[in-house]
Amino acid sequence: MYPFIIALFAGPVIVSGLLFILPKSISRILIITAAVVFSSISVYLITRTDQSLQIAVPAFMHQAVVIADLALLLFFGWIAYRRKNLLVGIMTILQLAGTIWLMNQPAESAGFVFNIDKLCLFMFLLINVISGIIAVYSIRYMEEEPCSGLRKKYFMSVIFWFIAVMNLVVASDNLEFFFLFFELTTLASFLLIGFRRDEISVKNSLTALWMNQAGGIAILAAIIFLRYNNAGEASFTHLLQIAAQPGFMLPVALLAVAALVKGAQMPFSKWLLGAMVAPTPVSALLHSSTMVKIAPFVILRLSPALQGTAVSTVIIAFTGFVFAAAAFSALSQDVFKRILAYSTVALLALMIMMAAAGTPVTMAAALILMLFHGLSKCLLFLNAGIMEREFHLKQSTDMDRLAERGPVTSFIITFGFLSLLLPPFGAFIGKWFSIESMGGFAQTSKIAGALVIAAIAMGGAMLSLLYFKVIGVLIARNGNDDRAKPEHIHPIYRFTNYILLVLIVAGMGGLSYLVTEFLAPVIAATLQQPVTAFTSHGSLHIGNMSMPLLPLAIAFFLLPVVLYAAMFIRFKKVDRVKEYMCGEKVNYSFSSYYFSVEKITPWFTVAGILFFITLLAVVIL
Amino acid sequence: MKNEWLQIVLIILAPVIGGLIAGFERIIRARMQRRIGPPLLQPFYDFLKLADKRKMMVHSTHVFLGLMHFLALWFALAVLILGGDLILVIFLHLLSSALLILAGYSTRSIFSHLGANRMAISILAYEPVLILMAVTIYMINGSFDVSVIFSSGESLILKMPLAFIALLMILPVKLKKSPFDVAEAHQEITGGAEIEFSGIFYEAVYTAKWLDNVFCYTLVYLFGAGNPLLGAGLVVGVFLYVNALDNSSARVNYRQMLRFTIGVALPVAFINLLLSILHIL
Repeated sequence: MYPFIIALFAGPVIVSGLLFILPKSISRILIITAAVVFSSISVYLITRTDQSLQIAVPAFMHQAVVIADLALLLFFGWIAYRRKNLLVGIMTILQLAGTIWLMNQPAESAGFVFNIDKLCLFMFLLINVISGIIAVYSIRYMEEEPCSGLRKKYFMSVIFWFIAVMNLVVASDNLEFFFLFFELTTLASFLLIGFRRDEISVKNSLTALWMNQAGGIAILAAIIFLRYNNAGEASFTHLLQIAAQPGFMLPVALLAVAALVKGAQMPFSKWLLGAMVAPTPVSALLHSSTMVKIAPFVILRLSPALQGTAVSTVIIAFTGFVFAAAAFSALSQDVFKRILAYSTVALLALMIMMAAAGTPVTMAAALILMLFHGLSKCLLFLNAGIMEREFHLKQSTDMDRLAERGPVTSFIITFGFLSLLLPPFGAFIGKWFSIESMGGFAQTSKIAGALVIAAIAMGGAMLSLLYFKVIGVLIARNGNDDRAKPEHIHPIYRFTNYILLVLIVAGMGGLSYLVTEFLAPVIAATLQQPVTAFTSHGSLHIGNMSMPLLPLAIAFFLLPVVLYAAMFIRFKKVDRVKEYMCGEKVNYSFSSYYFSVEKITPWFTVAGILFFITLLAVVIL
Repeated sequence: MKNEWLQIVLIILAPVIGGLIAGFERIIRARMQRRIGPPLLQPFYDFLKLADKRKMMVHSTHVFLGLMHFLALWFALAVLILGGDLILVIFLHLLSSALLILAGYSTRSIFSHLGANRMAISILAYEPVLILMAVTIYMINGSFDVSVIFSSGESLILKMPLAFIALLMILPVKLKKSPFDVAEAHQEITGGAEIEFSGIFYEAVYTAKWLDNVFCYTLVYLFGAGNPLLGAGLVVGVFLYVNALDNSSARVNYRQMLRFTIGVALPVAFINLLLSILHIL
């Protein structure tokens, strides 16, 4: 196991370096090989490993981390100076002060630094499989990017370096290491959002930078708190042990704050929306599928300490609010990628909520959502890129009659949206468990629980409205030419699409197997208590919740199969008619509905800030 | 054992029952307007007439989605009658509506598009209320399964009167009855998403509406499930109420509808949920 993990840590870094040197043709092969190898390793690890593994590092590595921290902060400082950005400057100075304070503390007894447990392996799977697919996709996408060859190499290089950082951040147990890698993901997101170097990209990349730095400060504050109180080693494992003692809830809450920032919860959702100016693989990779999943991951890590506390109640109430608010805000959007971004914020809220509730069922819901949301959103983003590149479409209103020009793309996008919404898809199962388990939550926390349920019900309905809006434009077609000829898109695009489709469908088919064999052990290891998950009498049982499988199996034929058939089925021997136009001969331009929500959305920011204050206040008071 | 047979017979005959409800509805509405109205079997005569018409369609995707809308709805109804999970039933119903909405969007007809838009908005109007209702039932019974409602022997209406009132408020939306029939609105958008279906293909959408009748009245029956007489009474009462309302009210626009369902029906259902959680009711 050990060499494999080192391969996941160091492998992407090496690939990242090589991509700079190697010529284009060889780097293509390297990218594909690397994607396959890293995905295979992550699959192998989660299927074959039962024990968790702790890795210690030599003492000088701790020094190296501090030096790397300082170097990174100096770089941020330089950015702040060069871009004349006050907020980045303030954040950097605060972080610098914290880091220097930490440097002057006596070195702590160095235990293990990396803790490779089941949850970590699950994240490895998510990161490496999805990032691998996106890296392969980028080969083609970047070919058409109007920039120099060196910039293209740089882009691919950063992608692989980012994969390494992600693997490291989920494996870190020591909080100082975690802090460094967390900051490095921030750096990756800053560099990649600003990749196109136009005015708006630079502006949005700086927003992303300072907001995520605020998350970094929360982590730093947690470390300083632990050190200052001589609480021993600053690590997740140790923190979970001492969190039950009075007075040690604050660092847990601070880490949760960092997670909420990374997960773009309001009012920090602004950075994720701004991030949509980046090339599409970046949006897919960082801002939907992998990086933002750090948020539910951290909460899952902390869930044994969070469960049943006031902090967890506030997080649940807060994310319930964000879920509904983000879905609501999205209703006024028209740019396809921004619609995706808002729905990401909403669904992240749901994942964080499930993670914070911390019962086996809700954690299963969180894991299912993380996995399938990653796949579905990745699919949607990749197709957003395909629409940009092959059909030159960005606004959802321009996509009218895509079903005629690109039936396959149109089908895949429709499929992707419905997979987030309806049975029998994984993302739906997650949502379903959420509603059902919140019923249990409401029994203990009464009013907050009722409000959260109402928020989920409203938010869910608004999200369906949002998705229908896009699908409606996509699926429209003319009656004159009924033949649907699959369009020719680049083999790489098609290949990556098909892999994701297969994964979503396979995950759907093997859901009960997936839950009982893979997710249940993850939950059991994270909560450190046995979890019952089994299939009997045609239903899947997790904890005290059961889910009938037969209706889902039938729904499988009603949705994905029907949708596919609808795109390509042709009835013969039926006469054609024109649409009924009430006798008028006017050319209508088809559009969709809009809701103007600008009056209310500023209040969401205020409410978000209030929630963050409450979150820390309940701990301190 | 006998019960299971009854369920299966109910499921198979659901379209017929729905058709009879539709026929009865026309008579009742006519009597309210002091007309005699058509014979009870008129919907079935219409059904036969439609089958005989020339086959016409706009394109295949459209008619296929219409057919699947019918099947999906039948399936959702089957899960409900078999006592399945209520949340799942609500989402399966959403799935069936989704297919009709997609069908509506798939043609290039303005009326069809408008209708599909409005159907999507109608979902926003009624779905949250249904989910709150389901969660309230969970609070009372400790399970989302419909079969538990039947086996518990209690009448939900006593435990959740407000949720029942909220259901009464959203039923016209779901059944596309005035004042909330914006999605269909014959005089305005000539049937909305249904307009481009004709002949044998309209059959599917037409009978799907019958199924929706059965679906909605089964939901009503759940409130009196403990006592079959009470359940039947509720169904008859609600049936008369829906039709009297349909007869006596003018259509509102979709904004007014949303404002009412979100602003009134949802809070009412929410208060019931809160009262159930706090064990007041």
